[in-house]
Amino acid sequence: MDFRFDIITEYFPFFMKGMGLTILMSVVGVLMGCILGFFIALGKMSRTLIVRLPFVWYINFLRGTPLLVQLFLFHFAVLPSIFGETTPVISVMVTLSLNSSAYVAEIFRAGLQSIDKGQAEAAHSLGMNKYQVMRHVLLPQAFKRSIPPLGNEFIVLLKDSSLGAMIAAQELLYWGRAASGQYLRVWEPYLMVALMYLILTLTLTYLLNYLERRLDVK
Amino acid sequence: MISVRHLKKSFGDLDVLKDINVDIAQKEVVVVIGPSGSGKSTFLRCLNLIESVTDGTVTIDGEELTDKKVDINKLRAEVGMVFQQFNLFPHKTVLENITLPIITVKKWNKQDAEKKAKDLLEKVGLLDKADVYPESLSGGQKQRVAIARALGMEPKVMLFDEPTSALDPEMVGEVLGVMKQLAEEGMTMVVVTHEMGFAREVGDRVIFMDEGYVIEENEPKQLFENPQHERTQSFLSKVL
Repeated sequence: MDFRFDIITEYFPFFMKGMGLTILMSVVGVLMGCILGFFIALGKMSRTLIVRLPFVWYINFLRGTPLLVQLFLFHFAVLPSIFGETTPVISVMVTLSLNSSAYVAEIFRAGLQSIDKGQAEAAHSLGMNKYQVMRHVLLPQAFKRSIPPLGNEFIVLLKDSSLGAMIAAQELLYWGRAASGQYLRVWEPYLMVALMYLILTLTLTYLLNYLERRLDVK
Repeated sequence: MISVRHLKKSFGDLDVLKDINVDIAQKEVVVVIGPSGSGKSTFLRCLNLIESVTDGTVTIDGEELTDKKVDINKLRAEVGMVFQQFNLFPHKTVLENITLPIITVKKWNKQDAEKKAKDLLEKVGLLDKADVYPESLSGGQKQRVAIARALGMEPKVMLFDEPTSALDPEMVGEVLGVMKQLAEEGMTMVVVTHEMGFAREVGDRVIFMDEGYVIEENEPKQLFENPQHERTQSFLSKVL
């Protein structure tokens, strides 16, 4: 079997550009997912059923339907009917943000609920109010415990951004498909794309391990 | 100082406190004893509303805690509590454990709070541990830090919920020593404990609880040597 390195060489600048977009969409997805996820976690922990219910179903929907279906739904239906138009990149960012917010919410909730209830009791007994207990006692501890599962979620999200190729967002896999279509070759482009995803996820894993070690001061 | 009237507490169908009436005077050290499940810890936890009250009133220094309109956080700051499991904040240093409520609740500045915290650490004999995290402390040291943390709020009353029950035997003495010192300085204290020696030596009054009622209360010497009620006799015969 011959291996045409020239295809890779020719498409390399496009792969790099695609990787840039993959990183951008993932970073936006992660950041928005964390911010939204935090509030959704608080909402889902409400003691009032009527407050809790919308958050429960938000999470149910986003975790219970395929990401690709959500992407199509947002790109072709939801976003165009709200804003009149959308671009593939915006659709991917919105869908990734909302999807990851559901998973992140569950991670934060698990983190908060894993803190011994004696911590909140002690803080309340010292006269701290609900906000102060959350801010100074529960959140710092819960956040630290959330880092390993959050890391997992980020890696999953980075890989899932490849679904953007299905709506022609010009990320990494998009350029792999383009190269494949132009030369009618499958090995070179897809191996190259796989390798580049691997570099991204391994770098992210390394960074997360470093962060975990750094924050392990109790 | 503390006045408890017709206090009732239920968890679902389970009535833990049935009708508690207790008065505690300023500077008094009251020790609460009783078999497990008697409601003594729940009683203590109702005194600062860490446990909600089903019925009845708790009044501390003229202010009714059970009144829905009172600022419960403000009142809680005046009632210190020490827990069986210490409940120190593991992500904060020993010094920060003490300064956190002083800064956030009392709104002191950092320098003053740290000075106060260091004075308290010196008092409990742990000034050299100011900058370590709780995980490197022994149980007895953790409990002394927890006492210092509660004292930082300058409470009018201190509640102790089995403060030595989670400790190795050789560390019980150091914690009881600090508590005894507090009592001698005139702190009003309510102590739930199994340490009968402490009750006898430091307590002004001992309350015996069983099945959600106060069965008997008296001066320690009287209660231990001459218990009136049959259930008190039977309990004391098992623990003394």
